[in-house]
Amino acid sequence: MSDIEEASDTLAEVNLDDTLKPLTENLESDPNSSLKDIVVTIGATVPTGFELTAADEVKEKLGSQSKISKDRGKIYFEISLEKLSQVHRLRSVDNLFVIVQEFTDYQFKETKEDTLKDLEDLVKKLPWTDPLKVWKLNTNLKKKKTKHKKQNQQSSASKEKLNDDGGKDRANQKDADKELLDHAQNTPDLKSAEQNTEKTQEIIVADDQSDGKDEFLTITGNENQAGDCKKGEAEDQVLKFRVTCNRAGDKHSFTSNDAARDFGGAVQDYFQWKADMTNFDVEVLLNIHNNEVVVGIALTEESLHRRNITHFGPTTLRSTLAYGMLRLCDPQPTDIIIDPMSGTGAIPIEGATEWPSCYHIAGDNNPQAVKRAANNICSLLKKNQNKESGTSWGIPIDTIQWDICNLPLRTSSVDVIVTDMPFGKRIGSKKKNWDLYPACLMEMSRICRPGTGRAVLLTQDRKCFAKALSKMGHLWQKGHTVWVNVGGLHAAVYLLKRTLERAGEKRSYW
Amino acid sequence: MKLLTHNMLTSHVRGVRPGGGFPLRIQATEVKVNNVDFNQEFVARMIPKVEWGALLEAAESLGHLSDLPHQLPPEYENNEDFLRKVHHVLLEVEVMEGILKCPDSGREFPITKGIPNMLLSEEEET
Repeated sequence: MSDIEEASDTLAEVNLDDTLKPLTENLESDPNSSLKDIVVTIGATVPTGFELTAADEVKEKLGSQSKISKDRGKIYFEISLEKLSQVHRLRSVDNLFVIVQEFTDYQFKETKEDTLKDLEDLVKKLPWTDPLKVWKLNTNLKKKKTKHKKQNQQSSASKEKLNDDGGKDRANQKDADKELLDHAQNTPDLKSAEQNTEKTQEIIVADDQSDGKDEFLTITGNENQAGDCKKGEAEDQVLKFRVTCNRAGDKHSFTSNDAARDFGGAVQDYFQWKADMTNFDVEVLLNIHNNEVVVGIALTEESLHRRNITHFGPTTLRSTLAYGMLRLCDPQPTDIIIDPMSGTGAIPIEGATEWPSCYHIAGDNNPQAVKRAANNICSLLKKNQNKESGTSWGIPIDTIQWDICNLPLRTSSVDVIVTDMPFGKRIGSKKKNWDLYPACLMEMSRICRPGTGRAVLLTQDRKCFAKALSKMGHLWQKGHTVWVNVGGLHAAVYLLKRTLERAGEKRSYW
Repeated sequence: MKLLTHNMLTSHVRGVRPGGGFPLRIQATEVKVNNVDFNQEFVARMIPKVEWGALLEAAESLGHLSDLPHQLPPEYENNEDFLRKVHHVLLEVEVMEGILKCPDSGREFPITKGIPNMLLSEEEET
C-alpha cells in the first residue's frame, strides 16, 4: 500500500466527530492528496477565560473556526497541513497538540482493571499515522529554526557539555533525524512553511532564553550530533516517548498515573518506542475530562508562555495572558499604550512585539522591576539585531520609573492602559489596596483620553476593585469582564471604557 | 528615553503652576541613535498627538533639529521627506544619560541607562 493510500485510509478515520462540526474542508481525500489536502485537528491550551480571544486569533491568522472545549482552557481547530508552521505564530496559546482521536462520550467500564485494559486495547485501534506525520513535520520545522538560531548565537557551556553525552541511542536517533531533515527539505510543499520560519524563529529563540534550559540542551544536542553524523544510514527510528495524562471528573475508577502507565505500556508495545520521562521525542497526551477523552501528540516542547522574558520578577505575567489582555483592548495603529505598574514589562514587551504600530511605555516605582524590564527589552533588541549586520534596531517601547498615584504624564495623553494590578498577595497587601486602587483609577482616568481611551486591568482583589470603580462611574464605563485563573487564584480582567467627561483636576498640569 | 516619550512627560512637583511643568528641559550627556523601521502612516497619525513646539525644542537641545520647520507644513501626511525627519526625532534619537529639568521649579529628574526616574519625595508630592 502506498504512503498516500495509507494516508487516505486513516484520514477517513481521523476526523471527526459530529460535535466537532467540520468546516467546509473536504475530508474525502483523493489518492493524489498533498499536504494541502490533509486536514488535521489541532488542540491548543490557552489561559482559562481567554478561549474566545484565542479562537479569534486563530480565525484571524489561520482562517479556521474553533471549537471551545468544555474542559476549560482548551480550543480545537482544523488546518491543512501546509499551514502547520503558522500555528506557532499564535500568541494566545500556551501549548499545541495534534489530535489523534477525540471521544465525546467514552464509556468507561465498571472496574478499574477493565477500564485500564480498555485503554490499553485502544492504542492499536487509534489512527496514529496522520498525527505522527504532523509530529514529524513539526519536528523538522523546529529543527530548521534551531539551525537558524545556532548560526546567530554564541555557543554556551551547556552545549559543550552535551557533546559528551552522545550515547548509542542518541546516535541512532540523530541519523534518523537527519534523514527526516533531508526528506523534509526535498518536499516541495514545505516551501511555504520555510518562508514562515523567519517569523516564527523568534518564538524558539525566546524559549531558548527563558527558563526552559532543558529544552535548549535537547534541541542543540540534536543539532550538534546531526551535523556531526555524516552518514545517515539507519532506517528504523527508535523514538523515545512519554505519556502525560490529565484526568478530571468524579466518576473515574482510576488515577491519571494509572492511565498514563498502562496506556504508555500499550504504546510501547505497539510502536516499540523507548519510554523516557525527560528526553522524549514524542509526548503522547491523554486528556480525560468526565466522559470526554482526547488522545493527542504534543507539538510544543514547553509552554510558550514565557517567551520574550529573560529576566523574571516575583509576579511576571505569562506572555499568553499579556497577549490576551492586549487583544481585548483592540489596539489601533499609533495608539499609545502604557502599563503604569509594569513590573518586568511582560505586557509592554508583548505589545511591542505584536503591535509594533503602537507605542508602548512601561513604568514602575520599583527600581529592580524597572531594571528587569530594561534588561528584557535589551534581550529583545539583541534578538532583533541578529538578523541584521551591526546596526542597532529599535522597537517602539520605553521604560520610566514613576509612581502610579502621581504619574508624570500630560492629561489625556494616553490611549490605552493595560496592567496587572497588585493582587495584595505577592506584592503589596489587601490593606494597601484599599487606598491604592481608588488612587490608581483616578490617576489613570486623568491620563486616559476621554471618549476613545480604554483600560484593561487584571486583579484578584475583585472586592476592592469593584468598590473603587463604583465611585467612578462618571469617568469609567465597565465593559466586558473575563474570569481567569492566575497561578491558582481566581482573578478577573476588567475592560473599561473612558467616558467623555474630563477628569476633575485636583492639580492641573494642562 | 525617546523623544516621543519625552513629549508626554511633565513635571508634577507640588506648587508647579498649571502647565508649568511642561516641557521638561533636557540636558543630555549621552545620546544614542537607533535605526527604527519607518512607518509613514504611523508618523503622520502621531503628529496630531504630539506637542509640536516641545518636540522641536527637545530635538534642538540634542542637536537633532536638522531642518524641521517651526510650523507644520500643510498636507504633511504625504510629505515623505518631512515625515522621515519627524520619524527620526520621534523614535530614533534616545537620551541614555542626562537630566530632565522642570521649567517651573528647577527640580531635576535623572536619566540613567535610558530610564528617567520621575519619583518624587514625600514633600514634593501634591
